[in-house]
Amino acid sequence: MNLSFGLYLILNTVAVLLVAPLFVSIIKKVKARAQGRSGQSVFQIYFTLAKLLKKETVYSSHSSWVMRLTPYVSIAAMLVAALFVPLVFVPEPVGGIGNIILLLYLLALARFFMALAGLDAGSPFGGMGSSREMSISAIIEPTTIIVFAALVFVFKSLNVFDMFAASAAAGAPSTPTLILLAISLFIILVVETSRIPVDNPETHLELTMIHEGMILEQSGKNLALMELSAAVKLTLLMALLLNLIVPFGLTTTLAIGTIAVAAVLFVLKVTVLAGIIGLFESSMAKMRFFRLPSLFAMAFFFSTLIIIIEVFA
Amino acid sequence: MIDPALIQSVIRILFAVVIVTAAYIISTRNLISLVSVYAVQSLTLVFMALALWSLEGVTVLLGIAVVTFVSKVLVIPYFIASIQERIRIRRDIEFHFLSPTTSLLLSMALILFIYIALANILEGTPARESLFFFGAVIGLSLMLMGMMVTFSRKRAITKVLGYLSMENGVLLFGMFVTELPFIIEFLIIIDLVILVILTTILTVGLDSTLEEYHQRLHRFHLVGDTEDGP
Repeated sequence: MNLSFGLYLILNTVAVLLVAPLFVSIIKKVKARAQGRSGQSVFQIYFTLAKLLKKETVYSSHSSWVMRLTPYVSIAAMLVAALFVPLVFVPEPVGGIGNIILLLYLLALARFFMALAGLDAGSPFGGMGSSREMSISAIIEPTTIIVFAALVFVFKSLNVFDMFAASAAAGAPSTPTLILLAISLFIILVVETSRIPVDNPETHLELTMIHEGMILEQSGKNLALMELSAAVKLTLLMALLLNLIVPFGLTTTLAIGTIAVAAVLFVLKVTVLAGIIGLFESSMAKMRFFRLPSLFAMAFFFSTLIIIIEVFA
Repeated sequence: MIDPALIQSVIRILFAVVIVTAAYIISTRNLISLVSVYAVQSLTLVFMALALWSLEGVTVLLGIAVVTFVSKVLVIPYFIASIQERIRIRRDIEFHFLSPTTSLLLSMALILFIYIALANILEGTPARESLFFFGAVIGLSLMLMGMMVTFSRKRAITKVLGYLSMENGVLLFGMFVTELPFIIEFLIIIDLVILVILTTILTVGLDSTLEEYHQRLHRFHLVGDTEDGP
C-alpha cells in the first residue's frame, strides 16, 4: 500500500462522513420548498445527530445481540463501501478495494442486518418493515446486478476505480449508452435509499413505512449510526451515478489544488442531483407495492439493452 | 462545417432518447404525460433529420424535418391534448393480454431479435458497420413497440398514440435505410392528421374501451341497427 492510497482512505472516509448528512437535508429542503414550507436549516441534521449521539440507548427487553450489533455492522459496511466509490480523487486500486461485486455484497450485508434488527425487537411494525424490505430487495437485486453488469460491459472492468479513471480521462459521457445507464442507476438509487415512489422517508405511518419501520426500535447513538449509514449510502450511490455520467472535476492526481477544485465541483454536482431527487419525489406519489416491479423493469430494460448493444456491436 | 464525428455522436445520443421515450410510452399509465412524451419523441426525430441533413446535405431531409415538426410536434399533440381536456380521463389502467412490465420485457426480446436478424441480413455489406444499421434496428423496434402499445391497451386514445409512435418508427427506418420518397412521407402524415381529426370528432367514444364504444355507437344510432330501441 503506497502513501497516496493511504491518504485516499483517510480523506475519502472523512469527506463522506462530513458531507453525507448535508445531502440528505438538501433533499429535505427542496421537498419542503416544493410544498411551500420554508423547511429546517440544512445544517440542522448535524445538531440532531450530535444530540442523538449523546442520548441514552434503550433496548427492548425482547431484543438480543443482533439489535446491539446492527448499527455498527451497518455503519462499518457503509464506510467500507464508501471507500469503493471515490468522491473526488481516484487512486490506483489496491487489493480487492473497488470491486463492484464486493460493493453489492457490502450493501446486501447492511440490509440483511437491518432487516434482522427490525424483527429482533419484536415490534410488529419492525417485522412489517423487514418483510417489505426483503420482498423489495428480492425483486430489485436481479435488476441491480444487471445494471452493474452493464457498467462492467461498458467499461470493460470490474473495478469501480478503473471505471472512474476511464470516465475522468474522457471528461464527458464516453458513449450514449451511458444516458440509458443513468436512468437505470437513478432508479437503483431511489430504491436502495428508500425514497418515493418506493418508500416514503418522511412518514411513520404504519401502512407505508419500510426503512423507517425497521429502525423504529433504534434509539440514542444507535439511531444516529443508522441515520448516518443511510446518509452515507445515499452519498455513495449519488457519487457512483455522478462520477460515471458527469465526471468533470474528478481527478487522478494527488495535488491539493486539483483536489480542492474537484471537491467544490463535487459538492455542486451532488447539490444539483439532490435538487433533482427532491423535485422528482415531490412530483409523484408513492407507488402501490405491487406496481413496483414495473419501475424495476424499466431499469432492467435499459441495462439489458446496453448489454445487448455492448455484446453484439 | 461541423465535424461529422460530432454529428454522429449526437445522432447516437438521439437514438438513446428515442429508446427512452418508447419505453415510457409502452409502460406509463398517465395519459397526460403520454402525449407530451410522444411530442418529445417526434421532436427527437426532427433533430435527427436535421443532423442527417447536415451530414449528407439531402434537402428532402430538411422537408421531412419541417413537416414532422409542424404535424407531429405541434398539431397532433395539441389535438389529442384538447380531446383529453374535454373527456377528462387521466389514466389508462386497463390492458389486453399484456401488462406494461411484460410488454417492456417482450420488447427487449423484439429488439434483440431485430438486431440479430438485421445483422445477418446485412452481414458483409458496408451498411453493417455504419450508423444506418443502428437507425434501422431502432426504427423497426420503435415500430413493433408502437404496435405492442396498440394491441395491449384498451382505451381508444392510447391505441391512437401507439399507432402514432409506430409511424414514428417507420419514419426513422425510412430516414436511415431507404430513400423514402418525400411524397409518400407527406401522404402518411396527412393520413395521420385525418386519423387524429377523426378521433377528435369521435370524442364521445374516447373515454371508453372499444367494447363500450361499440355499444355507444349503437346507443347514439351511429351504426345502422335498430334491435335495441331507446
